[in-house]
Amino acid sequence: MPAVQVENLVKTYGDGTQAVKGISFKVDDGEFFGFLGPNGAGKSTTIKILTTILRKTSGLANVAGLEIEHDAQKVRKLIGVQMQDTVIDEDLTGRENLMLQGHLQQMRGEELKERVNELLKVVDLGDAADKRSAYYSGGMKKRLDLASTLVHRPKILFLDEPTTGLDPQSRAQVWSYLKGLNQTGMTIFITTQYLEEVDRLCRRLAILDHGEIVAQGSPSELKSEIGADRITLGFENGNPGTGSLKDKAKQVLGSLGGITEIVDSDEGIVIYAKNGGFLVPDIVRAFDNAEIKLSSIGVSSPTLDDVFLKHTGRRIRPEEIDKSRASGMFGRRRR
Amino acid sequence: MTLASDSYYMFQRWMKKLVRNPILLFFSLFQPIIFLVLFTQLFSSFGTLLGGINYTVFATAGIVLQNAFSSAFQSGTAVVDDIKSGFLTKMLATPASRASILLGRLLSDAFRVFAQSLIILVLAYGLGVFPITGFVGYVLILFTVAFFGLAWSGISLALGLRTKSAETVFGIAGTLTFPLLFMSTALMDKRLMPDWMKSVSAYNPISFAVNAIRDLIMIGYNWNSFLLSFGVISLIAILTMGATIYEFKKVVS
Repeated sequence: MPAVQVENLVKTYGDGTQAVKGISFKVDDGEFFGFLGPNGAGKSTTIKILTTILRKTSGLANVAGLEIEHDAQKVRKLIGVQMQDTVIDEDLTGRENLMLQGHLQQMRGEELKERVNELLKVVDLGDAADKRSAYYSGGMKKRLDLASTLVHRPKILFLDEPTTGLDPQSRAQVWSYLKGLNQTGMTIFITTQYLEEVDRLCRRLAILDHGEIVAQGSPSELKSEIGADRITLGFENGNPGTGSLKDKAKQVLGSLGGITEIVDSDEGIVIYAKNGGFLVPDIVRAFDNAEIKLSSIGVSSPTLDDVFLKHTGRRIRPEEIDKSRASGMFGRRRR
Repeated sequence: MTLASDSYYMFQRWMKKLVRNPILLFFSLFQPIIFLVLFTQLFSSFGTLLGGINYTVFATAGIVLQNAFSSAFQSGTAVVDDIKSGFLTKMLATPASRASILLGRLLSDAFRVFAQSLIILVLAYGLGVFPITGFVGYVLILFTVAFFGLAWSGISLALGLRTKSAETVFGIAGTLTFPLLFMSTALMDKRLMPDWMKSVSAYNPISFAVNAIRDLIMIGYNWNSFLLSFGVISLIAILTMGATIYEFKKVVS
């Protein structure tokens, strides 16, 4: 029985916006599944539907074999949900946050107390357990949030960008918890901007763009689909933008053989070619003849980043997202 | 019964949040205390106009009600915070009863108004105000005020759920408080009001609650006014709760 099964899922908001346009995918039991896509692609909407927070417009969606709207209460007992922002009650201590979550999951008494103690140790909050969580660091808050989704031992864990906004050390820690949880048999459904971790941990992934799934498969399948090395070209005078320079450069590249694809990117131009290393001298010579000055040239074998770029025309850059999110959080009123 | 137990845990959460923000508690009690201590002194000569009574005794009912009124308006802002922080969503992803999210908050509002009113009444006792109905009177007063607070929180909850803006809720609360208070019998007997105000205050729900409490303090058991006030508060409660549930369903779906 698949952990998540979605067929032709559609979500149209009240204002007519179609956030999810008939997507279908399946997550097997015990799988570590990556759900990727640029901002606004419909990832969070999908997660909200699968976690019974939002109603779907049409289509089929089963979680743990249960129809999500008909069996919403049963689904809620089987899933853990971590939202995009860190959601804890900062007036409560770490322990109280976990106890509350357990109580709302209908756990009681000694069983709950022991579970909370155990989790506090797992996420390294044992010493800070009885301090107000308002005084926790960002990493501690995130860990507490994660622990609060685990109190009732969910079978399937949904995570919406669990490591965005964290420093590298906390991020690595969260990923290692998730890996451990997956090894105990928990199904993990995750959206994230960190493709390296996806490559390392996710068995399968789907890429969503403009409310539609544009690619799905295992990381190695998707990378081999690209079937070519990536050559990144940077130009002098920084970003060539949309100006004639870029067009001219593309013309030059078009005259060369062996290139499978030419894609615009923010830093310049990315081209895909088999045996990319051999092409470099040709490229340099051609640009030299055309009097276009290159500032950088790099060759790499395909990564998930390339897969993402190929299917969405955009590149994920977590650092920038971190910055915008961080300032957003700073501006928010604290409770 | 998950509704009862879930509501209890929600209630417990709000209580913890309340006692851990003593500044909030202090400032919301500050205004009624100023009214009790300063306002009643400033206008003490009204007592003569009202037939030689102690104005502080007269005004206590109004001050207790005013406090309930403004405290209840903070309920909506707390819910706005939960919506914005995502805490509401987090609760919705658990099997906790939906109704308990509202019920827990409302119970905490009622309890808070109960406790604050008790503090005001204790202070008033120090200023020589005590209900002639004695201990039973105190109990009846506190329950009436708490019920009143509960009914009014509904307005603020519905506004908060609808506008999702704490500023709007505060703004509306601030605009409504004094006109509603002044056009009621909270601080002045209707005999001393201009005619038009007399008519308005006769229909002002605050007047009904104030009259019931004032009777318990100054006159004795007046079951007519007591039951009438409960009828009026119940009516308000039904309206505000209806609006709250309607708005809540929109937010939740």
